[in-house]
Amino acid sequence: MRSTFHTLETSKRSLFTQQAAINTVGHNIANANTRGYSRQVVSMTAARPIEAYGLTRSTIPGQLGTGVEFTDIRRIRTSFLDDQYRNQNKLVGTYSIQADTLDKLEAIINEPSDSGIRTVLEQFWNAWSDLSKDPENVTGRKIVRESALALIDAFNSISRQLDDLSADLTTNIEVKATEINTIIGTIASLNTEIRRIEGLGDKANDLRDQRDLLVDDLSRIANVSVIESEAGYTISIGGMIVVDGSTATPVTAQALVGAYQNGDLDSGEIHGMIVSRDVYVADYRRQLDSLANTLANGEIQVTIPAGSYIPPSVASTLNPPLTSPLANNTVVTVKGINGLHQLGYTLEGGPADRFFTTSDGSTTFTAGNLRLNSAIEDDVNKIATSMRLDAGGAVVRGNNTLALLMSELKDTRFTFDETSTGNGVTSATLGSYYNALVGEIGVIANRMKRNMLNSQMQLDQVDANRQSVSGVSLDEEMSDLIRFQHAYNAAARLMTSFDEILNKLINGTGVVGR
Amino acid sequence: MPLRVTPGMMHTQLTRNLNRTLTDMSKLQEQMTTGRKINRASDDPVGITYSLRYRSELQANVQYQKNIDMALSWLDFNDTVLQQAQDVLKRLKELAVQGANGTNPGVALGNIADEVVQLKEQIIDIANSTLNGKYVFNGEKTDIIPYDPTVPSFDPSQVVTDSGAIYYMVGVGVKLQINLSGNDVFGRPGEADNIFTVFDEIINALQNGNHAGVTAQIANIESRMDKILTQQSEIGARVNRVELMQNRLKDLELNLTDLQSKTEDIDFEKLIIDAKINENIYQASLSVGAKIITPSLVDFLK
Repeated sequence: MRSTFHTLETSKRSLFTQQAAINTVGHNIANANTRGYSRQVVSMTAARPIEAYGLTRSTIPGQLGTGVEFTDIRRIRTSFLDDQYRNQNKLVGTYSIQADTLDKLEAIINEPSDSGIRTVLEQFWNAWSDLSKDPENVTGRKIVRESALALIDAFNSISRQLDDLSADLTTNIEVKATEINTIIGTIASLNTEIRRIEGLGDKANDLRDQRDLLVDDLSRIANVSVIESEAGYTISIGGMIVVDGSTATPVTAQALVGAYQNGDLDSGEIHGMIVSRDVYVADYRRQLDSLANTLANGEIQVTIPAGSYIPPSVASTLNPPLTSPLANNTVVTVKGINGLHQLGYTLEGGPADRFFTTSDGSTTFTAGNLRLNSAIEDDVNKIATSMRLDAGGAVVRGNNTLALLMSELKDTRFTFDETSTGNGVTSATLGSYYNALVGEIGVIANRMKRNMLNSQMQLDQVDANRQSVSGVSLDEEMSDLIRFQHAYNAAARLMTSFDEILNKLINGTGVVGR
Repeated sequence: MPLRVTPGMMHTQLTRNLNRTLTDMSKLQEQMTTGRKINRASDDPVGITYSLRYRSELQANVQYQKNIDMALSWLDFNDTVLQQAQDVLKRLKELAVQGANGTNPGVALGNIADEVVQLKEQIIDIANSTLNGKYVFNGEKTDIIPYDPTVPSFDPSQVVTDSGAIYYMVGVGVKLQINLSGNDVFGRPGEADNIFTVFDEIINALQNGNHAGVTAQIANIESRMDKILTQQSEIGARVNRVELMQNRLKDLELNLTDLQSKTEDIDFEKLIIDAKINENIYQASLSVGAKIITPSLVDFLK
C-alpha cells in the first residue's frame, strides 16, 4: 500500500545521500595534498523498491522506487599498484644509499687533484731523486723526511676518514632499526583499530591509508613482504616476521646484519648501508692497507752495482748470502722500502735502520699505523744514501747508490701479497696499483648512480600510475560538487513541492462551503 | 598513458623535470668553473686512470729535466776547469821551451823556475776545484779534499784520488756518469807524465841548470795535454748525449701535456653552447609549467 508521505521519504533519503556525497567531496578536497591519501567515493544504490513479493502484496502496478541510499564510502585504491610501488621503492632505497656512500668515498680519495695520494707519492720519489744529486747535504735529507711525513700523513688521514665513515654507517643502521621499530609499532596498533572498526561493518578508509603509507615508508628502509589477513597486515622483513596482527616484534641492528649475511635482507636502505660499510668501505680500506704494507714491506728486486758494500748483518740474511764489496752487478730480493733502506749506510757510517715503523708494534703495516721511524724523524742523518765504504771502513758520503735505487722504485714492480684476504698475489708498480684502485671506485660509483636514476625513474612512473587511480583531482571534485549540489537542490525542491501538495491535501480538501 | 590525469600528477612531473634540468645545469657549471671534464673518479672511470698516469709521468719528466740541468751544469764546470788546466800547461810548455834553451843565463833560469813554482800551485788549486761545496776531482769522496796541502810531507804526485763514479738519473732506467777522477786528468803516481812529477822534474832541472832535463819533460807535457784533451772530448760527448736527452724530454713533456689535456680538459665552445641550450630549456619549461599548473576549475565557477 502506497504511503502518503512516500515522496517525502524519497526526497529525505536523497537529501541525506547527496549530503554524504558532498561531505565526502569536501573531505577529498581538504586532503588533496595529504601524503598517501586515496580519494573516497560514496557508493549510491537505489533503495529497495516496493512492493516485495508477499501474501499481503497490493495490486497497484510496481515496483515503485523508494529513492537512494548509500551502502558504503570506499577508497579508490589498487593494491597491485601498491605492491609494485613497494618493490620499486626498496631498490631506490638501497641504490641511493650506496650512491651516496660512493660519493663520499670519492671525496675521500680526492683524485684528480694536487693533494691526493698520487701527488704525495710522486713528491716522495722526487725527493729521493733530488737527494741522489746531493747526498752529503743535509737539506736534501730534510726534504726526504718531510715528503715521507706528508705521504704518511695522507695515508693516516684517509684511514681516519674511512673509520669515521664506517662508524657513521653503523650509527645510521642503528637509527634505521629504531625507525623500523617505531613504524611497526604504529602499524600493529592500526591493525587492531582497523579490525575493530571493520568488524562493525564500516570501512576504515583513512586508517587504511595511514597504514599503507607506513608500509610504503617501511618498504624503502628494508625489503618487506605484506600479507593481508583478517587480523590485518602480516609484515615480514628479511625473513623475520615483525608485525602479526596486533603484535609488533622489534628488530635489532645485529638481527638485520645477520639477515643480510644469510641473504634474506637484500634491498632497502639498511641493506644499502650494510653493503656500503662491509663491501665498499671495507674493500677500499683493504686495498689501501695493502698499498701501505707493500710500500713498506712488499717484495722487490733491485740490481745493486758492483763495488757496493752491504752491511754484514743484512748480507748474511740474504739468499744467497753476499760478501762485500760485490764483485758484479747483483740482483737482490728485498722487502720493500724498509728492506732496501737497510742495505745502506747512514751519513755517520752505521748500517741503516728501517725507514717505516708501525705505531702499534705489529709487523703488518696498514694505512692507519704507518709511521716514519722516530730515529729518522729526529735525526735526518740516519737516512741512508751510500753503499760504499772506503779502505778504512768509513762511509763514502758522496756515494749515492742507495738514493738512486730508492728513486727508481717508482717504476719497480712490487709484489702485492693479498692471500691473507683471499685476493691472491699481484705484481705491479705502486702507481698503477693506486690508479687501478681509483678507477675501480669510479666504475662502481658510476654504475650505482645510473642504477639510482633508473630505479627512481621507474618509481616515479609507478607513483604516477597510483596517483592516476587514487589521486584527488580538484577539477573532478569541483564538477562532482556541482553535480551533488544540483541533486540536493532538486531534492529540496521536490520536498517543497510535495509539501505544497500535502498542504493542499490536508488544509484544502474537504472545506467546501466553509 | 594513464587514463586519468590529476593536477597533482602534473605538479610532480613538472617538479621532476625541472630538477633534472637543474642537475644538468649544475654539472655543466661545475665543468666550466674547474675547466676539467673529470672532476671525480666516477665522471669517467677509464679516463681517470689515464689522467692519473699522465700526471705521474709529467711529474717524473719535470724531475728528470731538473736532474739534467744539474748534470749539464756539472759537466760544463768540469769542461771549464779542464780548459783552465790546459791553459796552465800551455804556459808551462812555453816556459819549458824557454828554459831548455841553453843560451839563458842562470838568473833567467831562476826566474823561470819561480814562475813554474807558481804554476804548480795554480794546478794544485785547479785540482782542488769545488762546485756547490763538492770537490769535483775526488770521485765519490766529494767532501774530502783530493790534493790536501796541509798533510805533512805533501807530495801531490803520490795522491790517489777516488775513482768512484757519480751517477745522475736522467730518464727511466738511464743513469749518466757526470764526474771525472783526478788521477785520470792529472796522472797516477808513478806515471812519467803525472803532471806533478813533471812539475817537480822541471823545477829541479831549472834550479840545477839542467837544460837537457827540461827538454826531456816537454814530451811529457805534451802527452799530459793530449790526455786532458781526451777527457775534454769525453765530457763533450756526454754533454751532447745529455742535450739529446733534454730535447727528448721536452718533446715528451709536450706530448704528455697534450694527451692529458685531451683526456681531462673541457671543450670550451661546446660547453658554452650546451649551457646556453640548457638555460633555454629551463626557461621554457618554467614558463610553460607556470601556465599549466596555475588554472583550475575553481577559477571558472562563480
